[in-house]
Amino acid sequence: MIRNYLKVALRNLWRNKTFSLINIIGLATGLCCFILIALYVLDELSYDRFYKNSDRIYRISSDIRFGGAETKYPFTSDMMGQTLKKDYPQVEQYTRIYNSNGSKLLKKGTQFITETRVAHADSTFFDVFSLPAIAGNAHTALYEPNTVVITETTARKYFGNVNNAIGKIIETDDNGKTLYKVTAVIKDIPSNSHFNFDFIFSMKNVNYQWGQYGSHNFHTYLLLKPGITPEAFKKNFDQYTDQYVLPEAKAYLQITSMDEFQQSGNKLEYSLTPLTGIHLYSNRPFELSPGGNIQYVYIFSAVAIFILLIACINFMNLTTARSANRAKEVGVRKVLGTERKNLITQFLSESILTAFISCILAILLAFAIMPLFNSISGKTMSALHIFTPAIIPVLVLLPFAVGLLAGSYPAFFLSSFRPIEVLKGRLSSGRSNGSLRSALVIFQFATSIVLIAGTIIIYRQLHYIQTKNLGYNKDQLLLIENGYALQNKLEAFKQDMLQQPGVVSGTISSYLPIPSSRSDNIFSGEQVIDAKNGFSMQEWVVDYDYLKTLGIELIKGRNFSRDFGTDSNAVILNEATAKTLGYTDPVGQHIYKSGMGPGSAASYTIIGVVKNFHFESLKRDIGMVGLFLGRSTGFVSFKMNAANAPAILKYAEKKWKTYAPEMPFSYQFLDAAFNNVYRSEQRVAKIAITFSVLAILIACLGLFGLATYMAEQRTKEIGIRKVLGASVGNVVTMLSKDFLKLVTIAFCIAAPLAWWAMHNWLQDFAYRINISWWIFGIAGVLALSIALFTISFQAIKAAVANPVAALRSE
Amino acid sequence: MIKISELEKIYRTEEVETVALNKLSFEVKEGEFVAVMGPSGCGKSTLLNILGMLDDPDAGSFLFNGIEVAHFNERKRADLRKHNIGFVFQSFNLIDELTVFENVELPLIYTGVKAADRKKRVEAVLDKVQIMHRRNHYPQQLSGGQQQRVAVARAVVNNPKLILADEPTGNLDSSNGNEVMQMLTDLNEQGTTIIMVTHSEHDSRYSHRIIRMLDGQTVTENILV
Repeated sequence: MIRNYLKVALRNLWRNKTFSLINIIGLATGLCCFILIALYVLDELSYDRFYKNSDRIYRISSDIRFGGAETKYPFTSDMMGQTLKKDYPQVEQYTRIYNSNGSKLLKKGTQFITETRVAHADSTFFDVFSLPAIAGNAHTALYEPNTVVITETTARKYFGNVNNAIGKIIETDDNGKTLYKVTAVIKDIPSNSHFNFDFIFSMKNVNYQWGQYGSHNFHTYLLLKPGITPEAFKKNFDQYTDQYVLPEAKAYLQITSMDEFQQSGNKLEYSLTPLTGIHLYSNRPFELSPGGNIQYVYIFSAVAIFILLIACINFMNLTTARSANRAKEVGVRKVLGTERKNLITQFLSESILTAFISCILAILLAFAIMPLFNSISGKTMSALHIFTPAIIPVLVLLPFAVGLLAGSYPAFFLSSFRPIEVLKGRLSSGRSNGSLRSALVIFQFATSIVLIAGTIIIYRQLHYIQTKNLGYNKDQLLLIENGYALQNKLEAFKQDMLQQPGVVSGTISSYLPIPSSRSDNIFSGEQVIDAKNGFSMQEWVVDYDYLKTLGIELIKGRNFSRDFGTDSNAVILNEATAKTLGYTDPVGQHIYKSGMGPGSAASYTIIGVVKNFHFESLKRDIGMVGLFLGRSTGFVSFKMNAANAPAILKYAEKKWKTYAPEMPFSYQFLDAAFNNVYRSEQRVAKIAITFSVLAILIACLGLFGLATYMAEQRTKEIGIRKVLGASVGNVVTMLSKDFLKLVTIAFCIAAPLAWWAMHNWLQDFAYRINISWWIFGIAGVLALSIALFTISFQAIKAAVANPVAALRSE
Repeated sequence: MIKISELEKIYRTEEVETVALNKLSFEVKEGEFVAVMGPSGCGKSTLLNILGMLDDPDAGSFLFNGIEVAHFNERKRADLRKHNIGFVFQSFNLIDELTVFENVELPLIYTGVKAADRKKRVEAVLDKVQIMHRRNHYPQQLSGGQQQRVAVARAVVNNPKLILADEPTGNLDSSNGNEVMQMLTDLNEQGTTIIMVTHSEHDSRYSHRIIRMLDGQTVTENILV
């Protein structure tokens, strides 16, 4: 019986090649999107789940507001972890990660190279995170100072093989020169971890003023004992704050209680972020790696399901539309005694077979475009991921699910025909179920229009970010990294560069309006700093040429100048800070930086105010920043003319090599670094455009099929109309009008939906575009034109056909 | 009104050439009622399609009101057709999705008549063929005779000079058939030229003249009046 079903099914597919092709291509494309997005989503959801105790590990996060805007940090003080462990038995273990610079210079052979996947961690790191060692004992490896644990790949890179590595020495530029002994080699950390280090150095080598409760600089993780809920444990934080943070704060601020601190509008609040939620939910500044976003996971899941639905709808629409052609078969089969359920089985086996063929095609397609998808999504998934145990059952069930979903309506619809009516030809040609088909077409196009509008808005926001006046000039700015590697030759290097044609100016500073060094401190307009007048401000160390090189506009006062001997006690504020201080003319006034103990605050004279510039992502409001004259040597930056860039770069490298032959020369451009900040948005934009194009394509494929069918069905009518004097234009209009009406209705549904969704997305950005009506206009017109183009092909074909043939085929 | 001479139409498939019209010539004067008869496959339908400007001849001349239309393009033919010619088919060829009223209204829409005017004219002609009471029904709800009356109404609503009828009674019983023939006769008496293809000797007797065809040629012409 099943063989008979399959035989008939295969023959039917073969006989209606156009429709079968449309069905299979549409379904295969839909399924391929579904598979790829499913892999993406599963990968996003799998972050940090591979650690043995991942359900008991929590990172302590802190929400801090002092004077200005609230900042959400992934940090705690250096003391918090050990204090919690000491005071609360619920804590089984704690560990800290510190990666202040985010990169180190390491000596390999005679050359230093920049390693970015580096961190310092406590010896308890491997008690909390179950990263298996393949050589050495990870649990004791970091106990001593000057020890380092490296990954397998790193061991091969530096020492040829894993066993060679143990006991070997690695030289770094920490404090000029520090040697570390390799004490263990671990397996590479899986890519779906929120941190990815190649080197984990001993915490004991971190140069830090230990024992503080107020300064937050460490990623701290707690392993809670089984059965302890984070909600319950969180209650202890108030007690901790009162007992330890408050006494220390009193040394800097005139406060008596945390309540007073909070009543002044300030905040210090700790929370526990589950390890498995860091990647998708946390998304704080200074995370160990740029996180994902649960919102995008939801959006992409929805897109995957919608694309699959659109493909299924094509299938349903085409199959029911063609019902008249199958009606006679149903009639004859019924007359010959077939039961309804047999017919249903037959039709379902047809749709499942189609889905099955499509699924195989989809897998092949997924294999083929996996590299492309990886480059778009920024993942490193192998196509073989498709065959992981989690996916295989899905792949087996998918054809059945899709086949049943897409095939059940046609099956029940077709099998319900009454044989006598069908055989007497009384079934009006597939129009009886036109309204459902219309609804489905509306659904397809509404989805497509939402995707188009969404894509346009994402692109416009990105464009807005790229072209917004940032308050500094990010173009033609060459950043040479690791300036400190040149040590005392740095100034000479800068002077050499300035002699080059095309180099306009240069500045030495670690602080740039892209992710780079940051440090903040407590400041106040008053000498006695308390909870009310104190505020937290970025403290940026720059040189005389900083403003000029970055194109930051001075609106009041003057720049730092060599003509004034006192500028080491001077500060230039941004507008935001000046506004907080509230002076009508801030120039000449003083601000104070908190120090340990009463009366120890340092005083600075305000010499100028610069226009606000966006030194953080446009997702955040412009905070308070003060520029101080001094030496910070992370970057040497040069403003240059684009035309001279290649020669300048070449010269810079040559000079660098003469000053510091062992040190790596590396550089970036400020505009590229700036764009990197929005990489995840750019990724989303790319994914959105890819899938909206696909959704539209699949929807059009279905529309094409429907139009073909309609034209076929209405051949006679078209013939009559032409005989009565209808022109080609009349006929094309007639055939297109119905579809266009549907697309118009789809637009009316889609526009508010898209507005709502994109409005929510834009809330992520402190600086954002307005959603203007014409975006929807474009999306609607685009969908309409694409639909029109698709239909008109068939409509014109039908309209120019000779009516005689149509009328003769009676 | 119509003068065709040496008209040729050949259908070609890969293997066979079928001569549908073989140097056919005749003339129809304004106000005539002509019946074209002949066995199946003699070229009657082809002739009717060419006269109705639905198809073009391969060779020969076709003068319509003194204008040579044999090589008119599609658009010009359609224009001439919709203003001058009405069609009545054996199988009625009404559009199932439109009501009686809408079916009859169609030719007026295509000739650009205004809505108010259309309503008047459609109602007048529906009255004339006595189907006014079913104006809002769909074709499937009517009997064959009624459907053909609607088809006749549709053919004449534009006041064409020429009506081409292809076996107009072929699908009707005799009483309905007679009714339709009577309607055509009445129209002819009011001045409309009629060319009718038929198998029925009975129907042919309503005409003034019978052209008998065989293998794409005229065999005889009988004048009845």
